[in-house]
Amino acid sequence: MTAVTTTPPARSPRIKSRALRRFLSHRLALIGLIMVLTLTAACFIGPMLLPYDELYIDLLARFSPPGTGGHIFGTDPLGRDIAARLFHAGQISMAVGFAVMLIATTIGSVVGVVSGYYGGKVAAVLMRVVDAFLSFPSVFLLLALAAFIQPGPVMIALIISATSWMEVARIVEAEVKSLRNQDFVQAAHMLGLSNRWIMFRELLPNAIGPIIVAATLTVARAILLEAYISFLGYGIQPPLPSWGNMLNGAQQYLQSAPWLAIVPGVAITIAVTGFNFIGDGLRDAFDSRSHGQ
Amino acid sequence: MLRYLLSRFGQSLILLLIVSFIGFAVLTLAPGGPLSQFALSPGMTQEQIDKIAAQMGLDRPVVVQYFDWITHLVMGDWGTSYRDGQSVLHVIGSHLFATLLLMGTATTLSVSLGSSIGIFSALRRGSTFDYTMTVLAMVALSIPTFWFGLIAIYLFSLNLGWLPAGNMYTVGDGSVLDYLRHLILPAAVLALVDVAIWSRYMRTSTLNVINQDFIRTAKAKGLPRRRVVMKHIVGNSLVPMITLAGLQLPMVLGGALVTETVFTWPGMGRLFLDSLGYSDYPVVMGLLMASAMLVLVGNLAADLIVALIDPRIRLE
Amino acid sequence: MTDDKKTDFAHPNRRQALMMMGAAGAAGAAGLMGPMAIGRDRAFAANADASGQLVLAFSQEPTVFNPLMPHIEVDEGLYYAVYDPLFDFDPAGEFFPILAAEVPTVANGGISADGLKWHLKLKDGVTWHDGTPFTAEDVKFSLELTVDPEFRSFRSTGYKLMQNITVISDTELSWEMSEPFAPMAAILASTYIVPKHVFDGVADKNETVLNTAPIGTGPFKFKNRMAGDHIEFEANADYHMDGPFLETLIIKYVPDLNVMYTQFKSGDIDVIGLQYITPDHLAEAETLDGKVVKVTGRATFESIGLNMMRPQFADLAVRQALYMAIDKTSIIDALYYGVPTPTETYMPQQSYYYNQSLPKHEFNIEAANALLDEAGWAKGADGIRAKDGVRLAFSNSTTAGNHLREQAQQFIQQTFAMIGVEMEIKNFPPAVMWGDYWMNSEFDSVMVGLNTLAGADPDTSDYFMSTMSPARGGSGQNTFAYQNPKVDELLTKGAANFVPEERKAIYEEMQAVMREDLPFLPLFQYAVIKGWKDDVTGPAPNVNNRIDTWNVRDWART
Repeated sequence: MTAVTTTPPARSPRIKSRALRRFLSHRLALIGLIMVLTLTAACFIGPMLLPYDELYIDLLARFSPPGTGGHIFGTDPLGRDIAARLFHAGQISMAVGFAVMLIATTIGSVVGVVSGYYGGKVAAVLMRVVDAFLSFPSVFLLLALAAFIQPGPVMIALIISATSWMEVARIVEAEVKSLRNQDFVQAAHMLGLSNRWIMFRELLPNAIGPIIVAATLTVARAILLEAYISFLGYGIQPPLPSWGNMLNGAQQYLQSAPWLAIVPGVAITIAVTGFNFIGDGLRDAFDSRSHGQ
Repeated sequence: MLRYLLSRFGQSLILLLIVSFIGFAVLTLAPGGPLSQFALSPGMTQEQIDKIAAQMGLDRPVVVQYFDWITHLVMGDWGTSYRDGQSVLHVIGSHLFATLLLMGTATTLSVSLGSSIGIFSALRRGSTFDYTMTVLAMVALSIPTFWFGLIAIYLFSLNLGWLPAGNMYTVGDGSVLDYLRHLILPAAVLALVDVAIWSRYMRTSTLNVINQDFIRTAKAKGLPRRRVVMKHIVGNSLVPMITLAGLQLPMVLGGALVTETVFTWPGMGRLFLDSLGYSDYPVVMGLLMASAMLVLVGNLAADLIVALIDPRIRLE
Repeated sequence: MTDDKKTDFAHPNRRQALMMMGAAGAAGAAGLMGPMAIGRDRAFAANADASGQLVLAFSQEPTVFNPLMPHIEVDEGLYYAVYDPLFDFDPAGEFFPILAAEVPTVANGGISADGLKWHLKLKDGVTWHDGTPFTAEDVKFSLELTVDPEFRSFRSTGYKLMQNITVISDTELSWEMSEPFAPMAAILASTYIVPKHVFDGVADKNETVLNTAPIGTGPFKFKNRMAGDHIEFEANADYHMDGPFLETLIIKYVPDLNVMYTQFKSGDIDVIGLQYITPDHLAEAETLDGKVVKVTGRATFESIGLNMMRPQFADLAVRQALYMAIDKTSIIDALYYGVPTPTETYMPQQSYYYNQSLPKHEFNIEAANALLDEAGWAKGADGIRAKDGVRLAFSNSTTAGNHLREQAQQFIQQTFAMIGVEMEIKNFPPAVMWGDYWMNSEFDSVMVGLNTLAGADPDTSDYFMSTMSPARGGSGQNTFAYQNPKVDELLTKGAANFVPEERKAIYEEMQAVMREDLPFLPLFQYAVIKGWKDDVTGPAPNVNNRIDTWNVRDWART
């Protein structure tokens, strides 16, 4: 606890409250927040209100258009209720998004803080690894990896994380490098605090702004990427629904049952737009320069 | 400068080695393989599959296979496609035109449109136009490209019947007009995202230029606003865009993958998917390497151009 | 009648009698044999009236141009245009000669009575597309290439039994078999002959000009390929049979079935080939103006294959109950729009060897439950049945991305749950699914479409003989790891028998045994929806060939 008192105590809270105020006055960010919250609520409460099970097959009711037979969004080629599937798929897609955010942000932060703090050879090696991962086109790497595993939500989340941590690493590295020589770090050094303590208790919390922004955008990116690989058939496999794999078979029925394509696509767009709006708002909130411009 | 170039070059080579080894290991160690597609052929036996695998050298340890492959690569032999027995470079080359045509059109479209929107937004910062464009750009970046493609097909091909739903041209026609008709939908879908990116970058770049001293000087000298905008602002804000173009170079390979799938466009994205489906590793690796090289070249070119344009940056 | 129905090695049938009578006019026989070619007996005549262009679309891309290298179904679409086999099957399952002057039979002396000595006569005056004359040396070379240790051969079954291949003259050769092997003729019917001279002086037999610019004796010459899009062929004016009647043939690659159908509808495609019109478009396709749309049977059958080494499937009662719990009618009528036909066996219904009197499947959840209760499989707390520590839970796998099959799979999962069976779906991309996972029987159960026959020959030893299971140490395709001494015995007897009537009895019995034993749960025999413009003549269904172009030499535009 001594460490906390050695850091300028006013630093973090002040930034936070100011950032929160700015975020809340950011109209787009608020809209984004509302979009995401509404969608999340729908995905978790929706299934309880619907009379249909997302897995129940009723071949007599296949391809019911939206609004018929109590199916708000219609039914799929197996007669399953699309609304029920959409909400469950949302739980899975968003869970994948958040899992990726946690994994990618953790890996990225650790790599970034370590190389930013130590610099020199450690940084050179770590940042070359970051470069190497960045030289793989992400879709290529995703598909190459996804083609060879048992594609469940956990594996998909891990694979997307493997292609998403580098940006956080770069941001954190840059941030930590600039903070490294500041007074409070020097002070901590003089107090004889361990490197690990300085890295994770002193430096990382001060880089939290950019990390949060990157993390939010990572959720958006992960939801999109999940949709891409599931659409191409390499992602989450049926019967488990995800927004991406609901679209997978939709192209075939585009003419006869367009709602199969429209409904999940709109859901993805709302979710991703929401997270992007929030990310934009957070960026403005944390970044005084862009605000002042 | 030369030292800088050499060290960057060396670093890039090491990166390529790492990338190639990771890619190779992932592909080779994965279950299945290039021969499994023949498993359902009549008369195919495990014995026969083993024999072919041995002939192709697929039964050797991964490291041996990797060294074999990389030595050939260094000598300019990218290997032979398992699927059609042609050299990998030939296979990639034969899909190049389709992708270049699509990406070229989409990029031209998005650069011109995106830059115009970006400049306009910056000149009227805070206006309704600026605000609308900002929101639209963010929405465009949030729509899955393939889904946008599906919706475009649904509207313009299936419902209105204005444009073809796929392919690059009609067999037996192949006139310029025919190509154009096929090009419109996929190029527009691809351009949507790029317009968003370019307009955002252009807006920032223009804002930076507007605030610089020489613009104020120009204005102060009483030059007509139009001339200031066209000559000084537009010209100078376009410079950093060259960097962006360098960074966008690798997208030639990967960017069109999903769009090519939705519109059955015979380019490299489809080639990658097909090759992956058939476990045609030499082609997959070839595409991976080509694309990694483009990333590195793009990055390097971007750095160099920035250094050449901006004397304040020194390369070390 | 039976004599007339099937090509027969012991007794000459009417057509073979004709062939023997017209032995001197071997070429004449060729004209008679093409089913669409009756009355167009102009063999060897340069075809002056080849005209027009035809676009044939496939949803996969033909890429392997050397027919003796490992390839898939769609590649054969190109082989029939560019190359020729010695003889081939017509839709009725009878052989007709192509490069051979006559189909060798016991009756015409082509095959010795014990099936061990073969003598083959070839047509005279046939040339390769590059002008080089075609001779018996080419045939000998092609046959030997299949077992060349340096060559990546597509198969060795049958060929490795051939010994002392001797060229007697330019148009005659002979060989011996190390054991009688009835399916040999069927294997030869899908062996395309390649030109020996392109291999002269080539260091690596796997890398010849055939890979990029194939040279054959077939009705069409390879012109050019636009990778990822189409392949263009032009008429071979010197073709040795009747035809071709088209100036230009284009095989187009359209990877998406909807786009393919849309282009067929709009007229960009003249003939819609492999993977065909999807069942959901059938009703609409049949109403299209100026198009001929036909549902035709294929030799492939769909089934749930069980891994017989798994304890869950050891009990016959379980297999029977599972079969009863499949709502076959709904799957076929609703999911597949009634296109395929229900089946009880692996043998296509068009085959002479098809057993018509197999017991019919019945969907009955109650009976299935009763059967399992009786057999001692009691439901546990989780609703899943178990007996002696074995839970009735297993996975089912198939190619990820095959939408119709995935739908059927999910539907079956639901009806299985109604009898206390838990079926987990575990699908893989094709390269993984059909790799070791399939070959070494690492699955619990699969959903698979198989064609276990070689052409019209009824032998299926490769798939059902107990010694053919890789997982049990054998080499073959018995991936269900099926073991039944009775089936082994029947298969051995059938492969050494050259008399169709006797073989029919053997294989009918075998189908009955397997229907009782249920190592796989047969669902349906595939049928596909073909379509072509009404000014196209020639495309004809042929259940004994894997691909549409088997008679492309006869295709014409009117």
